[in-house]
Amino acid sequence: MARLADRQAFEHYAAQAQARWERLWAGDHWIISVGISECSIAKGALETYRHLELLLAQEGIPATLRRVGCAGWCFAEPFVEVRAPGAPPVVYGNITTDRVPELVHALKRGGVKTEWALGVRADEPFAGVQPLSQHPFLARQRRLLFADAGVIDPESIDDYIARGGYRAFLKALFEMTPEEVVAEVKASNLRGRGGAGFPAGIKWESGRRTQAWPKYVVVNSHEGEPNVFKDRRLLETNPHLVLEGLLIGCYALETPHGYNYIGGEHALAVKRFQEAVRQAYELGLLGDNILGTGFSCHIRVRTGGGAYICGEGSALMYAIMGQRGQPRTKPPRSVEEGLWKRPTVLNNTETFASVPSIVLNGGAWYASLGTEQSSGTKLVTIQGPVKRLGVAEIEMGMTMRELIFEVFGGMREGYRFKGVQTGGVSAGPLREDQLDVPVDFDSMTELGGMLGSGGFVVFDESVCAVDFARYLTAFNRYESCSKCNPCRLGNPALVEILDRVRNGYGRPQDLDIIREASKHIIELSLCGLGQVAPMPLLGMMKAFPEEFDAHIREKRCPANVCPISEAALATVGDD
Amino acid sequence: MAHRVDPDQRVDLAPLLEVLASRFRPRDDQEAYELIVGACQEAQRLYGWVPPEAAQAIADHLGVTINRIYGLLTFYADFRTEPPGKHFLWLCHGAACYVMGSSRLIELLRDRYQLEDHGVSPDGEFTLHVFNGCLGVCDLAPVIQVDHHEYWGRLTPERLEAAIEALKRGRGVEDADGTAG
Ligand SMILES: Cc1cc2nc3c(=O)[nH]c(=O)nc-3n(C[C@H](O)[C@H](O)[C@H](O)COP(=O)(O)O)c2cc1C
Ligand code: SF4
Ligand code: FES
Ligand code: FES
Repeated sequence: MARLADRQAFEHYAAQAQARWERLWAGDHWIISVGISECSIAKGALETYRHLELLLAQEGIPATLRRVGCAGWCFAEPFVEVRAPGAPPVVYGNITTDRVPELVHALKRGGVKTEWALGVRADEPFAGVQPLSQHPFLARQRRLLFADAGVIDPESIDDYIARGGYRAFLKALFEMTPEEVVAEVKASNLRGRGGAGFPAGIKWESGRRTQAWPKYVVVNSHEGEPNVFKDRRLLETNPHLVLEGLLIGCYALETPHGYNYIGGEHALAVKRFQEAVRQAYELGLLGDNILGTGFSCHIRVRTGGGAYICGEGSALMYAIMGQRGQPRTKPPRSVEEGLWKRPTVLNNTETFASVPSIVLNGGAWYASLGTEQSSGTKLVTIQGPVKRLGVAEIEMGMTMRELIFEVFGGMREGYRFKGVQTGGVSAGPLREDQLDVPVDFDSMTELGGMLGSGGFVVFDESVCAVDFARYLTAFNRYESCSKCNPCRLGNPALVEILDRVRNGYGRPQDLDIIREASKHIIELSLCGLGQVAPMPLLGMMKAFPEEFDAHIREKRCPANVCPISEAALATVGDD
Repeated sequence: MAHRVDPDQRVDLAPLLEVLASRFRPRDDQEAYELIVGACQEAQRLYGWVPPEAAQAIADHLGVTINRIYGLLTFYADFRTEPPGKHFLWLCHGAACYVMGSSRLIELLRDRYQLEDHGVSPDGEFTLHVFNGCLGVCDLAPVIQVDHHEYWGRLTPERLEAAIEALKRGRGVEDADGTAG
């Protein structure tokens, strides 16, 4: 394919892509789409796809079979969307291979398999199936980044362009100066989605101000936390959206050097992003002299090797440079001295993905979404025994209670809510009586919680607060890069004390020792890992003091998880 | 896709050299350094571990020292510098899996199969990696990815034991969880 030479060539190409898309959906033939993501593959989506292919041929249903990305509803994977001639598309959930024959037979008879349907993509009910937008998982969501999730084929740049993709990049490139792009991002009040919530526009502005070249723009798709899986889903389901955000970032910084650093474990995300980059080169949206403007941009994909610390900004840059990923002291900040000692703007995957809509619709529009201090939408994941596990996109400001019990459907049968761990391994939990707090950057902080990257872990009565605290502390101990002593020595000490408590040898003064040691770790550690490593433990102690007490004074684990030893039991009441 | 295990067998470097020549072509030193981890990942994909010969080949190809390569191989949790067992178990110990009971699976593997994190079972059948991140399939928690493609989900110690015994008998495990294939 020839590279597009100028704006007109792009417009022409986009019009064709759009016409093809419209023809596809014109309504006169069968279209069957299967969601293929890491998560659906694990549940057998590829088998479902192959089985469908076979049976459709056998039954003589002349359908276009498509692969689309994930739509965030893990609980309904594998999903299959069926558009019969003259009917609106119906989405079916949990179509494992054993259900394929029955589904195909129903279709053959011209029927709708109502009981398996999640919803219909239409404003009105169809054949007894409610509109998908009214499904309880989706009704309260506001999807910008996930708007086309499960609709487009992530491996097709044409699909993306047909749905309006790369229009924001073209707008920036042809109608805006780099300064104007930064001004819109600033006006949007978009705050970093990787955890800290620093305003992206201000970071971009600092990056522009530093007078040293070359400059670099880097996407942080490392996602090594144990509590979240949103960035890889974004890359799996709409990789061009992230790439477009990155391109706009490069334009704003006036640099031809962009990177995406992706956790090596996220194989499908890596593959799809690489494919997106290849397609963009082929079309001339990447490379030299893009669309004849003189602006050039080259994107390199680098992968991580399974070290959580490499998600930290300075460590990530060392990792890209082929060094061990260990953080360094700041200043200088990365916008002054980052990758290869040059000014580097680093943002999270979701942050970049939010940029195209800001450029298209304006910063003011984006700022009107969500809350005043936390604008826009947020991808959130909930893990644990909830009914509807998945990735949701909500406007900032929804309460945690609504999120857990309405969007994610509340607890599964047989599980009772005990708490929700927030901020991953960097903050504490919320109890049931604290759930009316809004999900945004600042509200949870007062309660010892944190938005973090938007991954929340719901846990039930079978989980012991002491054991959970040990798990979270042990994570930080294991992932500590060992560069500085407070973190390297402090975290093992905390784990050791917790093990004592778990084994029934805890002493009342241990809680004070924990508080004291934590203070040192928090105040003296070099990087963000150590500086917050004790927070989950302190949070658990604050939220569930009675459980720590039961372990220490009564040598009893109320959840019956901890290995309290017989010998320790014999000492109850001694002190 | 189980790995071939024969520690004495010489490593056939040809496929690695081919990948390096076609896809790892640094234009300058900077890029050579940037490509090390990716090249090691390719080696591990090919051999199931990074044998010393492969590490040396990567060092030669990229023009970096072997020390640099081992500095990275030992830093990252994903790499193996010892030959793996026949089957690879990637046990998710992310938060969802923890909440749903992954600790009990780790205990079972340790007590019943003498299988520790990053170790090989005495019979050479299994390598275990406990993954601290999230495998991204939390709806199946607690979950193990087997031989890089298959998932055993919603495991209990009993189900895990049954699945392992079936795998040892050489049969593919069907439906360890009733959903994953
Ligand atoms: C230990 C540690 C791990 C981190 N991991 C990630 C990560 O996986 N992804 C991410 O985007 N940010 C991560 N961060 C935050 C980054 O340092 C950085 O703040 C962020 O990528 C900046 O992008 P943002 O402003 O768009 O959020 C981590 C920070 C620390 C201290
Ligand atoms: S705080 Fe921990 S992770 Fe951060 S530099 Fe120090 S030792 Fe490394
Ligand atoms: S269904 Fe896509 S994330 Fe699980
Ligand atoms: S935590 Fe195990 S799959 Fe997500």
